[in-house]
Amino acid sequence: MKRIVLPILAGLVLDGIVHLVAVLILPYFAEQDAYARLSVVGSVNAVAQIDDPTAFGAVLPSADPAFVAAVCIYDLADGPLKVRVPTTDDYTSISFYTRHGLPFYAINDRSAGRRVIELDLMNAKQKAALPENDEVTAADRLIVESPADEGVVIIRTLVRERGARDEVRARMDAATCGAAT
Amino acid sequence: MRALFFILTLVIGAAVGLGLTWVTTVSGYGPGLVKAGPWKAWPKAGTENADPYARAALARAGELPLELADGLAFIATTDDAGKALDGRCDMRLSGTVPQARFWTLTVTDARGRLIDNAADRSGFTSTEVVWNRDATIDIPIGPRARAGNWLPTGNRDRIQVTLRLYDTPVGLASRTSDAPAMPRLVTERCP
Repeated sequence: MKRIVLPILAGLVLDGIVHLVAVLILPYFAEQDAYARLSVVGSVNAVAQIDDPTAFGAVLPSADPAFVAAVCIYDLADGPLKVRVPTTDDYTSISFYTRHGLPFYAINDRSAGRRVIELDLMNAKQKAALPENDEVTAADRLIVESPADEGVVIIRTLVRERGARDEVRARMDAATCGAAT
Repeated sequence: MRALFFILTLVIGAAVGLGLTWVTTVSGYGPGLVKAGPWKAWPKAGTENADPYARAALARAGELPLELADGLAFIATTDDAGKALDGRCDMRLSGTVPQARFWTLTVTDARGRLIDNAADRSGFTSTEVVWNRDATIDIPIGPRARAGNWLPTGNRDRIQVTLRLYDTPVGLASRTSDAPAMPRLVTERCP
């Protein structure tokens, strides 16, 4: 009987370690994570509309059905990107996530304070390479620094009432995500 | 005999460890929970400093969190008395909503999917709901059509109500003591 105590104790210590490791690596090994779901919808460095959630499911679970959403999966390996999103009279937001779903930046129409939100998305190296003495550009541009080359931009606009959905979607069609010129 | 004990150790370790991981990631998003009555929110999950449990739960579900700078989602699966929300009952959501530029209210099944219904309505936005004169709201939730801001439940046994606040000062301090005053959620009558 005594000999079985040690394996059980050792097992309990081990389960703590297994649990911690499993939680920490889960974001990197989850096969049906948000990035995988969104990769089906759109291609890299282009805006793609996300279908509205229905009773049969949604591209992203727990998405707000009152919003029209679009995605841009990005890869900064070939240079910085420019994200342009026209806003509506209501609420528009742009959220940035890493490849593994960690949020790192969000902005909405009010905090951007203009009719068309224009963001320059770049990695740390590309940001450091920006000409420093160019004061006009620095003050005028919204620069988002991505922690890695790959990630996800989610563009969402509130549909104030159901009848306005087509109109909002048409305006969202003008959103772009592509190489900065 | 020795080998047997060694294997037993590994089996216990793996089974309990992975079981614990499953339990902690299948419901809710970890220890960063802020509660206000039956309403639950995880403000920190929507920031760069999200804890490992929130990140694991989100990755497992395939979700992207609402960023805190964008908004904050409150989820209720029970009423104020702690009784599970039953879509066959008549319920009522009433009172004030925390300060926000916009909010949306959504009724879903227990797994977060929309409920198919003849009225083709799964929620309200703050601009389409009919407000009371004293800036409070009154929303009947239930299987049968009712007057006013009725939200259908399609007779599902378990439902969940999500209130999302957009461009809101709520939750930015992300301390439990700062939980705002949320609308009441009451079950009125069950068949």
